[in-house]
Amino acid sequence: MSTNRRTFLTGLAAAGGFAIASPAVLGQAKPRVVVIGGGAGGATAARYIAKDSAGAISVALIEENEVYQTCFHSNLFIGGFKSYEEISHRYDALAKNHGITLARARATQIDRDKKEVVLSTGARLPYDRLVVSPGIDLKYDSVPGWSKDVEEAMPHGWKPGRQTQLIKQKLDAVPNGGTILMIAPPNPYRCPPGPYERASMFAHVLKASGKRDCKIFILDPKDSFSKQGVFQEGWEKHYGAMIEWLGPKVHDGIKSVDPKTNTVVTGFETYKDCAFVNVIPAQMAGEIARSAGLAPAGGYCTIDPASMKSVVDPNIFVLGDACIGGDMPKSAFSANSQAKVAAMVIRGELAGARTFPARYINTCWSLIETDDTVKVGGRYEAKDGKIAAAETFVSQPRESAELRKENQAENVGWYAAITADMFS
Amino acid sequence: MPQNGAVRLAVLGFVLACTPADAAGDRALGEYLSSECTSCHQSSGKQVGGIPAIIGHPAEQFVALMNAYRERQRDNQVMQAVAARLSSEEIAALAAYYESLKPNP
Repeated sequence: MSTNRRTFLTGLAAAGGFAIASPAVLGQAKPRVVVIGGGAGGATAARYIAKDSAGAISVALIEENEVYQTCFHSNLFIGGFKSYEEISHRYDALAKNHGITLARARATQIDRDKKEVVLSTGARLPYDRLVVSPGIDLKYDSVPGWSKDVEEAMPHGWKPGRQTQLIKQKLDAVPNGGTILMIAPPNPYRCPPGPYERASMFAHVLKASGKRDCKIFILDPKDSFSKQGVFQEGWEKHYGAMIEWLGPKVHDGIKSVDPKTNTVVTGFETYKDCAFVNVIPAQMAGEIARSAGLAPAGGYCTIDPASMKSVVDPNIFVLGDACIGGDMPKSAFSANSQAKVAAMVIRGELAGARTFPARYINTCWSLIETDDTVKVGGRYEAKDGKIAAAETFVSQPRESAELRKENQAENVGWYAAITADMFS
Repeated sequence: MPQNGAVRLAVLGFVLACTPADAAGDRALGEYLSSECTSCHQSSGKQVGGIPAIIGHPAEQFVALMNAYRERQRDNQVMQAVAARLSSEEIAALAAYYESLKPNP
């Protein structure tokens, strides 16, 4: 018997056992699923549970924003490759097409004993299963001198919306000869290649507008970064010496930032009068997940890799950037993939649907310059107590221009598909 | 997919000759597995950018293409990684599922 077949049968047996042990849930008129957060994890989970249960499960999606701007491809907006409208999406079709109840509010508390979510409106939503997909919160105290009060002067652009627009406005206002300084985040954070794709887009805009004397410094707390080889090769090829990446051994730590003078002090150097400072701070799971006790070890939430269930509460699933995804990076693609595993398990538990072994997939495409896109990704499975990589790949230096152009065509197609997979 | 048509046909012929499609694929398994495909391949059956439409694809051809990726005879890192972790039974299940769907314009 193959391993796949064995795991498959074990999965079936486990699902069957749970269904028998939960007569109260199965006997109820209509089981209720509440989803917190309408991003790649939450919107996908709501859609797949509602769509595939065909009315057998009632699904409510809690999301405070009427319009969602994707963080993914926000770098393409910054680089001028996409309009703001192209990264903006509404929830109307999702709700209408699949009978999902939209709660336009903020989830303020999870009452795990009563199995209810408390909303900012004061309403309480009871659940049989809860999906928590709130994304990240920023650690405002992780960069000395930086805080929420100064996030407009030194924007992070790591949550979509106004912050993304601020980054673009400040980039477009950089004069020729100006210095841009990016402080990159420590692991683990949302979108591992994101800061480096963003630096590429900064350089693209400056080069295209003739501001060739500008300089972009990336001050990184990490010794290495995602797709480093192909990013650095691409930077040199397209932008000469415009982008300079400095690891911790070179800059010796960020000592302080001063938003009033746009100054950044490192252990080695003081950068004064920067044209624009982009601070991408350390990150953690969204507040609602932490306050519910789903991240007992601190920053992020531990999950069971075979189901995406929280290890502290079997009625709660944590998806996307807020969870500890093992070998999976924090990406929209990962969250979308994890949501489908959770949806499958939840339908098995609440509606007796057939279940299968969990499997996960991710790819992150990054645009370095027009038609030069690199990618990294893999397939993942539950193994040794975590979501473990089973197959991985990454773009290599000296690949053909034709291949890189095909990568960008994939990137474009992927965005259209994943947003349809979330919102249609 | 900018790929030489003759090479593509040759690969297809070779793969078809080696591994005949399993006509009795498990459609329900295929439906679950397809949730991995829908992150990139549109459920509507539309082709957008460089991601081909796969809705309604004939099962035999689907199996042949997936086997070609699995054997690394066909280039694409993403698809090679996907196919490498699929058993023949799973590929047949996906093929049966996708063949059963109609594009929804």
